[in-house]
Amino acid sequence: MTSMNNEQVIKTKLKIVKQEIRNPWIDLLAVLVALVAGLLVGAVVIVSSGTDATEAYGALYEGAFGTPKAVMQTILQATPLLFTGLAAVVAFRGKIWNIGGEGQFLAGAMMTTWVSIKLANLPQPILVPIIILAAMTGGAVWAGIAGYLRAKFRVNEIIVTVMLNYIIEFIMSYILQNHWTDPKSSYPQSISFAPTTYFPSLFDSKLHIGLILVLVMVLLVYLLLWKTPIGYEIRAIGVNPVAAKFKGINVTRTILLTMLVSGALAGLGGGTEIAGVHHRLRLDISAGYGFTGILVAMMGQLNPFGAIVAAVFFGALINGSYLMQIKSQVPVALVHSIQGVILFFLVIAFVVRQYRIRKVQIDE
Amino acid sequence: MSAIQDSSVVLEVSNLNKCFGNFVANDQINFNLTAGEIHCLLGENGAGKSTFAKCLYGAYHQDTGTVKVNGFDVKFNSPRDAIHHGIGMVHQHFVLVPTMTVVENIVVGVEKSGISTGIKDAAKKVVALSEKFGVELDPHALVANLAVGQQQWVEILKALFSGVEILILDEPTAALTPQESEQLFSIIKKMTMDGTSVIFITHKLNEVMQVSDRITIFRKGKKVGSVKTSTTNKIELATLMVGRGVHFEVEKETLEPGTLVMEIRDLSASSKDKRESLKSINLSIYQNEILGIAGVGGNGQSELFDAIIGIHPISGGNIYLNGDEITRLKTAKILGKGLASIPSDRMTQGLLLEFTVAENLILGSQWVSPFKSGILLKEKEIIKNAENLIKEYEIATSGPEQVAARLSGGNLQKLILARELSRDITCVMANCPTRGLDVGAIEYVHQRLVELRDQGIGVMLISEDLDEIFNVADRIAVIYQGKIMGEFKTNQTSREQIGLLMAGVTEGIK
Repeated sequence: MTSMNNEQVIKTKLKIVKQEIRNPWIDLLAVLVALVAGLLVGAVVIVSSGTDATEAYGALYEGAFGTPKAVMQTILQATPLLFTGLAAVVAFRGKIWNIGGEGQFLAGAMMTTWVSIKLANLPQPILVPIIILAAMTGGAVWAGIAGYLRAKFRVNEIIVTVMLNYIIEFIMSYILQNHWTDPKSSYPQSISFAPTTYFPSLFDSKLHIGLILVLVMVLLVYLLLWKTPIGYEIRAIGVNPVAAKFKGINVTRTILLTMLVSGALAGLGGGTEIAGVHHRLRLDISAGYGFTGILVAMMGQLNPFGAIVAAVFFGALINGSYLMQIKSQVPVALVHSIQGVILFFLVIAFVVRQYRIRKVQIDE
Repeated sequence: MSAIQDSSVVLEVSNLNKCFGNFVANDQINFNLTAGEIHCLLGENGAGKSTFAKCLYGAYHQDTGTVKVNGFDVKFNSPRDAIHHGIGMVHQHFVLVPTMTVVENIVVGVEKSGISTGIKDAAKKVVALSEKFGVELDPHALVANLAVGQQQWVEILKALFSGVEILILDEPTAALTPQESEQLFSIIKKMTMDGTSVIFITHKLNEVMQVSDRITIFRKGKKVGSVKTSTTNKIELATLMVGRGVHFEVEKETLEPGTLVMEIRDLSASSKDKRESLKSINLSIYQNEILGIAGVGGNGQSELFDAIIGIHPISGGNIYLNGDEITRLKTAKILGKGLASIPSDRMTQGLLLEFTVAENLILGSQWVSPFKSGILLKEKEIIKNAENLIKEYEIATSGPEQVAARLSGGNLQKLILARELSRDITCVMANCPTRGLDVGAIEYVHQRLVELRDQGIGVMLISEDLDEIFNVADRIAVIYQGKIMGEFKTNQTSREQIGLLMAGVTEGIK
């Protein structure tokens, strides 16, 4: 029983093993690789359509950061993305896969519209806080439906949130065409709201207090997740719901709460976009911000400060693409494929980084 | 019996070793299987029998050791290789496509059969085989609509279709009704008449005695014996399974039990599949006393633990802690009343491996001062708490900020002990607190439990390890199929008596 055969030749081979512990530097590297890969694939598409890639990307950069006005436009573009990004950060930290940022964004926009129409006579200092609360409530309620179904009946939240996106899109389209329609417009959009509903602007520019609001939210999300017992519980159910339950964390309640917070953030994004930029509800009020928000959260490593960087990046990409289209005839739609490729590589990187290659001894 | 002795060895394993990191799952296993034999692998959860089977099936690669099939050395890189050599395995969780029919599932698994022509032939063959083995099965029924026993039969058919000569069944009766189990046994017996050999993995003693020709017993990764079924009995098997090896004796002075800490009255519970998992359990835990709950794994220990902390639904009875009723309270409330809980699976039930040591040490206390003030967590207090506990419990870690996943098994358990025992507690419940630990860590846990008892805390120790129970407990209750079979003072009973009760034998106690 005890005789071990020690005379065997010991060889080594490379083996892929799972690693339990995350290395933040590798995570960062993964993000950079995904980013570069996205831009490279974009370059291939540009070149294959007969345009010079450096010229196109040059125009894109110029459009995003070339002038103070361009920078401001990029910041404006990044703001809704940061809201929806934060929404995804909160949900994903609890491993609740809220894919409904888009729908919650629209719910917030619709609540803002409703309040803006009904209470237009209130003075601005009272109306603006009401708008903020209404937008958050709209998003929270729409996310809460999925949260409740998931928490109480274990209904998959991915499916529910995706379906809720469609539902609210159609509800919004119906209301816009039948009740809130601007009689002066042939396009399905609401009337322009009274100035009392406007978010006050900053530095006499197009920038508005939505920017301050979103930065405050970054800080609040950080504090919530890492400095409060509630955030501790959200992260705990994300890491190990069984252990959380064994130590008395109310998993059902925490799931619901996570979805409410996540939805409120996305909803506020929708409200900000109306009260800060468009001042009316339009069918295309969200250019897929809810979905890009998922990308922002993932590229930001589910960290609220990381999400700022990611939101500015995607904001710049979108904003710069207009100049790129004008200057080098590369269509704006290219940005979507770049985003898609980045997501693709990010997801791969997230799986790959769970493994590492190790030398192991084998005996032949 | 003579048939077995005469027949040739179809599978021979020598000195097989398999480690996962530092954990030795299989230690120098020797094993052989003869043609037409039903060979049981018996052992506790985590004894290494499934690991061993997976090495035979090519799902794992052994670190060292040889496997011979029909006298030839083989080396499997995948289950596919194993099937080529005539070795098939039916897993505990079936790998069937529920939206496909029986025959489609079977054809998918078998190579070289053209789908269109294959289906008709296969369907005929399925009918013929099912008739032969006495199973009712429509080859065109959807798998999703089949009973569990029928699904298992489909799995076995898959193996038969791929020409398997050695069939490994991993805990095949776990999900079956008693009737289905009986049918399975008759199927297996018929198969062996055709020369197929069967390796049957289980921890249920009744089944072993009923179905097998030979039994190999695993314990803590080692093979502790191979016996002919006709020459053994349940009691011998139970003792082999739970072991009576030399253990470190724990220094313990005699103490008189103090006041009642926890009382469990007529506690009943049912599991999800409506099976009664706990049947009218009565237990009392006193100060200055360790109550050991002995039993073979899967006899209701986890359900009892979970029911007390409010996770498993209770269908009847009452639980009192320090005189207050805690039946059906929320987990946080129950634990907050002074109950420390050390769950059996420290990785999944006890800790947040991706959290830091400091964060893990406040799990469950995140709403309690001094760790919280106002709505914020107090980081300073959390770190200070961790620094103190790391010192007091000798946790080997680089500091409070280290991620828990980096700690060794023994230190993970210390982390749980530190967290649970540093609270204001009157009662400790520990479920298999030394499972998978090395000798040093086991000793540490035992000493801690005895210290708690000496301090006047009531301790309940659930363990599948009889040595541990006899070493540490002052009083022993035996659990079998969700029932308490008897309760004894440790110095007034014997391993034989406890072993018999663990096997469910109540008659003929000496």
